[in-house]
Amino acid sequence: MTENLSLIQAVADTVSAYRDFPLIGSRAAVWIAAEIHLMFAAFVLGVPIFAVVAEAIGIFGKDPRYDRLSKEFTRLLLIAYSATAIWGAVFVILLSTLYQPLWAYLTAIFGPSMWLYVGIFFFESFTLYLYYYGWDRWKYGRAKIVHWCLGILLNIWGTIVMFIADSWLTYMMTPPRDITPQTAPASIKIWHAILNHTWMPINIHRLIGNVVFGGAIVGAYASYRFLAARTDEERAHYDWMGYVGNFIAMSALIVLPFAGYWLGREIYQYDQSLGITMMGGFMSWLWVIQAFLIAVLFLAGNYYLWVGMGRIPGAERYRPYTKWLLVVLVLGALVWGTPHTMIADSRELAAMGGSHHPLLGALGVMSAKNTAVNLMILSTFLSFLLYRRANIRQVVPWAKTGTRIQGAMFVIAAAIVLFFGIRGYFVEAIVRIGYSVYQVGAVLACIVFVTIIDVLMARGAQSLGAIQWGKMPPRSQYALFVLAVTFTWLMGLMGFARSGIRQHWHVYGVMLDTTPYAATPALGYAAIMISTCVLIFLSLVGFIFWLGGLAEKSTFVPSTVEAPHVGH
Amino acid sequence: MWAINLRIFGVVLGTLALYTLIANKIPQVQSEVPRALSLGANVTPEQLVAAGDQLFHGAGGCTTCHGLGTRAPNLLTDEKGQGPIGARCGKREPGKDCKAYLYESLTNPRAYVVPGYEPIMPDMGRTLSPQQLWALVAFLESNGGTVDVSASDIPAASAAPGANSGAAGAPTAAGIANGSMDPMAIIRGAGCTGCHKINGEGGAIGPDLTHVGSRLSANLIRESILTPDAKVAKGYEKFKGIMPKVFGNQLTGAQLEALVQFLAAHK
Repeated sequence: MTENLSLIQAVADTVSAYRDFPLIGSRAAVWIAAEIHLMFAAFVLGVPIFAVVAEAIGIFGKDPRYDRLSKEFTRLLLIAYSATAIWGAVFVILLSTLYQPLWAYLTAIFGPSMWLYVGIFFFESFTLYLYYYGWDRWKYGRAKIVHWCLGILLNIWGTIVMFIADSWLTYMMTPPRDITPQTAPASIKIWHAILNHTWMPINIHRLIGNVVFGGAIVGAYASYRFLAARTDEERAHYDWMGYVGNFIAMSALIVLPFAGYWLGREIYQYDQSLGITMMGGFMSWLWVIQAFLIAVLFLAGNYYLWVGMGRIPGAERYRPYTKWLLVVLVLGALVWGTPHTMIADSRELAAMGGSHHPLLGALGVMSAKNTAVNLMILSTFLSFLLYRRANIRQVVPWAKTGTRIQGAMFVIAAAIVLFFGIRGYFVEAIVRIGYSVYQVGAVLACIVFVTIIDVLMARGAQSLGAIQWGKMPPRSQYALFVLAVTFTWLMGLMGFARSGIRQHWHVYGVMLDTTPYAATPALGYAAIMISTCVLIFLSLVGFIFWLGGLAEKSTFVPSTVEAPHVGH
Repeated sequence: MWAINLRIFGVVLGTLALYTLIANKIPQVQSEVPRALSLGANVTPEQLVAAGDQLFHGAGGCTTCHGLGTRAPNLLTDEKGQGPIGARCGKREPGKDCKAYLYESLTNPRAYVVPGYEPIMPDMGRTLSPQQLWALVAFLESNGGTVDVSASDIPAASAAPGANSGAAGAPTAAGIANGSMDPMAIIRGAGCTGCHKINGEGGAIGPDLTHVGSRLSANLIRESILTPDAKVAKGYEKFKGIMPKVFGNQLTGAQLEALVQFLAAHK
């Protein structure tokens, strides 16, 4: 008996020790579990937003296709929830057994919020079951509205769950300044820890990011079903679904950088050295990779739209413009991807003739990059605009004037962007940072006002022919796959940036990582980890899609009405 | 169907392979963990310089800004014709030798912001141990100057500003500017002129102190020195948090009163 007690005591005494994981090490094990859990979490949080919006369009637009689309995705959510929970459990078990000191520290502060998290996850799951299994029962009248409200409730639970989890990870990154290594975790007030510098910026950034991600995954699912379709009608349905997914992903993507700016600003305000580590330190090359990925997203998204114009009667009028849009996008991507102040050794500095490239160095600064990305956003918006008005001829008497006003708005927005971009070279940094607000403001104002004018101009417009859904070359569908893979990879990369800026700290400035894996790895190793996680995640998502097809035939029903043109 | 599956698999794998390849082709920089130094009483200047070299180029993160010529002054190479840091550090602040200037620049970097640069450097005393800080000082001195850091400096470091992690602004025995009671020496020694202008001398980041006595009472001036964020001057709200909160520990009581009376008299 005494021996047993001694053994139990010995086990308890080692509770503060770190452990290692066979073969891949504890860091890689926790990385994979956390990353895949996060990807599934983004999926099960993003798709319900997509589903509830689609259901609303179905109810209020009286278009049953959107309702079917919404149900089709909610069915996939059931399996995805299980996967999220499984990976969440794997993550918690790995973290609590491999990183016990950190786990003990976090639970000492956040214990009550962890219990709340579990409770809400429980409610969320049962709301989902009710939402899905009640679909056909509450199909008409008020019952349908109640059903839609269940979808909203599902999103509310999901958002609360995400906000709670975000507080844990943001505390690790930006713990309140009065908390020091000497502060006993049990003495830290939980609200004080939750309300840290980056909590709300991360919440908002993730909320928008989840919509982008949900749209991209829907697009990939639709493209898979499109390629596998056996009939023209089935192909038309999934072509339309792919378009909707891409539309939502790209629309949300346009506002995502603004949430990113806010997050970045908060990181800098919290601690300059964290910001510098992120933007100019050992992670500086990461942003060149990010620029490349976002360039791929813009190019693939626009390419899909341009190819899609081939199935719209009347779109040939706008085809000559696409090559100029391509030129702007490519030039913008090249400027955005131009390195500036990079870590370089003396040999590299000598070869370059200084700390910056004599010619390209001027393009690597924030003024040029902000100008490039704003012009890319304007070009993408113009692509959408041409797409949505491709098969109509406006009949309102002021159509020509309206189009001229729209054109003038584009010119004015581009001129404002260019003006502040060039002027930024001649002012101090603190003034230059403020210019990005004017540039973004001009672009957003252009998007809002041009859209309003376009909607008003489209009233009673004459159709030049129905969109021939399904008549898309297969290559366009592979563009949707590239979009989904790139979004997922980008999510992994940004997760590495966010987590990596803590460097060798579990909790920045408070709790040191004393494991053999404390050094933050270089981008090459991170890329291998990210690709591994994306591959595992997409394989499992593919399996879920396949299961969804097995469990129930597609909700596709041959249509009797023309599929709507989103945005009209 | 299998052909489609294979094609999709190929697109996914190809995209992942491309991103992984690009990320592996760019320069690979790993963020190292600062190595704990245990320098004994017999540590030689060469050992200190070697340890400082490793910190400067590695875990210290110094090369993130120093050496680019844009964010911070060059330290290992010439800066505006004044030579590397070891050659110029002794001349930067009157009455302050190279060793003291460098140590204070690391632990209270806003005290000596070189004109033309922004006050962005973090207090290195929060992330590096006193031994690591002194090793860095020795390494910087070795670039164009003479290394005069010795083992005897290191034990004293524990009482120096920012020596302990999370304890920036630990009290100093002699106060700022070697305990001088000359208010202008205190102002310069405390680095006030890095941000504030007084009598035409200093920066423009914080409020001008030339006529501060006409705006603030002696009590408010004292409060602003001890708890700078308690009341922020109108128009300077965005700089809230920049002024160090360490002067209550760094100034002696007599120095603080001399400074308060001096500023209050500037009407």
